[in-house]
Amino acid sequence: MRRPTGELAHALAAEYVLGTLRGRARRRFEAMMAADPALAQTVRGWEAWITPMGEAAPGIEPPARVWRAIEARVAPAQRAKPSIWSSVGFWRSWGLLTGGLAAVLLSFFVYLSTGPRGEPVFVAVLTSATSQPMGVVSMHSPNLLRVRVVKNWPSMQGKSLELWVVPDQGAPRSLGLVRNEPGDTLITILPTDPRVRGAKALAISAEPPGGSPTREPTGPMLCSGMIAPVRQAARTPI
Amino acid sequence: MTADPNQERLAQLLSRTALADRAAFEQLYNATRSKLFAVSLRIVRERFLAEEVLQDSFVSIWNHASDYARAKSAPLTWMTAIVRNRSLDVVRRTREEPDIDEALTLALVDEGAAPEREALARSDAHHVRTCLDELEPEQRQSIALAFFHGLSHSELAQHIGRPLGTVKTHIRRGLMRMRDCLARAAVTGD
Repeated sequence: MRRPTGELAHALAAEYVLGTLRGRARRRFEAMMAADPALAQTVRGWEAWITPMGEAAPGIEPPARVWRAIEARVAPAQRAKPSIWSSVGFWRSWGLLTGGLAAVLLSFFVYLSTGPRGEPVFVAVLTSATSQPMGVVSMHSPNLLRVRVVKNWPSMQGKSLELWVVPDQGAPRSLGLVRNEPGDTLITILPTDPRVRGAKALAISAEPPGGSPTREPTGPMLCSGMIAPVRQAARTPI
Repeated sequence: MTADPNQERLAQLLSRTALADRAAFEQLYNATRSKLFAVSLRIVRERFLAEEVLQDSFVSIWNHASDYARAKSAPLTWMTAIVRNRSLDVVRRTREEPDIDEALTLALVDEGAAPEREALARSDAHHVRTCLDELEPEQRQSIALAFFHGLSHSELAQHIGRPLGTVKTHIRRGLMRMRDCLARAAVTGD
């Protein structure tokens, strides 16, 4: 499409900002804007003109869970460490910063997994690098960790899956092996166990049969997820 | 124009956010969350969708805060644009029937000057209001509905009960008149 100039550029920019430019036309316009600084500037001008229209509108308080979710999604950047397991790029590449889907799923699973009995202490949804939910880990009082694999990983003959706690400082700690098949693996662990102290995230890696020979992850990470405390969230499922 | 303390504070928080300062980011969120949540909620109409939009928008703000300086916008305008764009994306995916708060829309367009707030934004809002008042009533109504509730041309046509072409013309002419009016206001500094 030819680059819009003059009145046409203004008309398109105005309708883009107003929101009436829709569908493919909107996508095309965004692509043109990315390649055309003058057009982007026209859009900025319209934003400055139109946006103040809403300034006087009353605000509405969002629930606290929104900030908790934002915090969880931006957390890895703060914890950049030399180790690859805690570097920003690593976590980004593994989809920890992925969109609302994980949050919605999380709330859903929190909702499902809480009942009159056995309310979990925390839940983590483990997602793959492409944001596919692969597993759900929940800690049940007083000492039972349930690892639910949603879908098994193909081509894993001769490998073991190992579950890791990623603490805010230091190296990941193994919680044990997980079966590579849909269903639950139950791991007994006390909340006071030093391995779960300072836990921020959980991850599953592919290791040699029987688990990592070095007590640290050696194989590729298959999925990971931030740990979310659920006691407050459980009362207000999305 | 006089520098505005609130806008300046938001701009500072944004530039600290660009350096991955989480405390600044949290302050930025707390200073803007209710305005931005309301912006999204008016468009997507479902609380859980608006929550998702707010969440995604702030993750985007965190990741792109360093782009802010280049945008040369007022901080709240820049952030509002992010929230509006994401809300419009969501609305395209989900909405079948728009749900309009007519009274709110009219109140927002018709009410007097914006309450005490940033001097910069106040003067912008004042100009916008003055220029909206210069439009034909139907132009004003169409623009306000599209802006506040994210209505498309066809949704507007259905809602107002006018042909699609008429609505499109109202919007286009209304916007161009607003532009001319706002350009005049900027020149005269009124």
